[in-house]
Amino acid sequence: MERKVKVYALSTCPYCKRTKRFLDEHKVPYEHTDVDMLDDDEAEVVLVEIEKITGRRSFPVVLIGSEVIVGHDEERLRKALGL
Amino acid sequence: MTAEQGRVYCPVCLARFRFVDGWMEGDEVVCPICGERLTLRAEGGSWVGDRVAPMTEAEIRDRSENFAKLRGYRFSDVKEDVIEGLVGKQRRFGDFYCPCRMLHTPEYQCPCKPTRGGDVERNGRCHCGFFWK
Repeated sequence: MERKVKVYALSTCPYCKRTKRFLDEHKVPYEHTDVDMLDDDEAEVVLVEIEKITGRRSFPVVLIGSEVIVGHDEERLRKALGL
Repeated sequence: MTAEQGRVYCPVCLARFRFVDGWMEGDEVVCPICGERLTLRAEGGSWVGDRVAPMTEAEIRDRSENFAKLRGYRFSDVKEDVIEGLVGKQRRFGDFYCPCRMLHTPEYQCPCKPTRGGDVERNGRCHCGFFWK
């Protein structure tokens, strides 16, 4: 069964772009949220959630099933996605 | 001349740097802390630097090049993407804040306070991967 992939990113962050590009290139379907494009209140809710999951407010954050990957890490992405 | 008069306030890194003998009002200088190009202006008995080309892409390009030269840092292959991100931050949040953080306060204006404070020496790179040792 395909695991749900969720990406939290910033629209201005180069490494977030690379992560999205990597997923696109490997035809991995994913949901994504550009946190900086949300309204302030909404962004804060998401930031608190990200901090709860990762312990910090760094981007990108990729959730693959129960796996949490912070930062652009192709090796971990490949492993978690079985590529 | 008082110590205050002998220093120039930089509106980017919010610090004061040493006024060099021979400088005059209207001269263009580079902030030795953050690399910003500034025009000297006397204000109330002390010196202030005004940003030469505020809020332009040229400003952040010049500032980052100057900062890298001052510290002996280099850029990586994400340089142009980071510049694009910084310009995006300026458009949406009003100034050149770190493109990889959700922090839009003066201390996170590029080069941010942690970077000016030695993050590149400690980690080999700044948080955004713009400046590298």
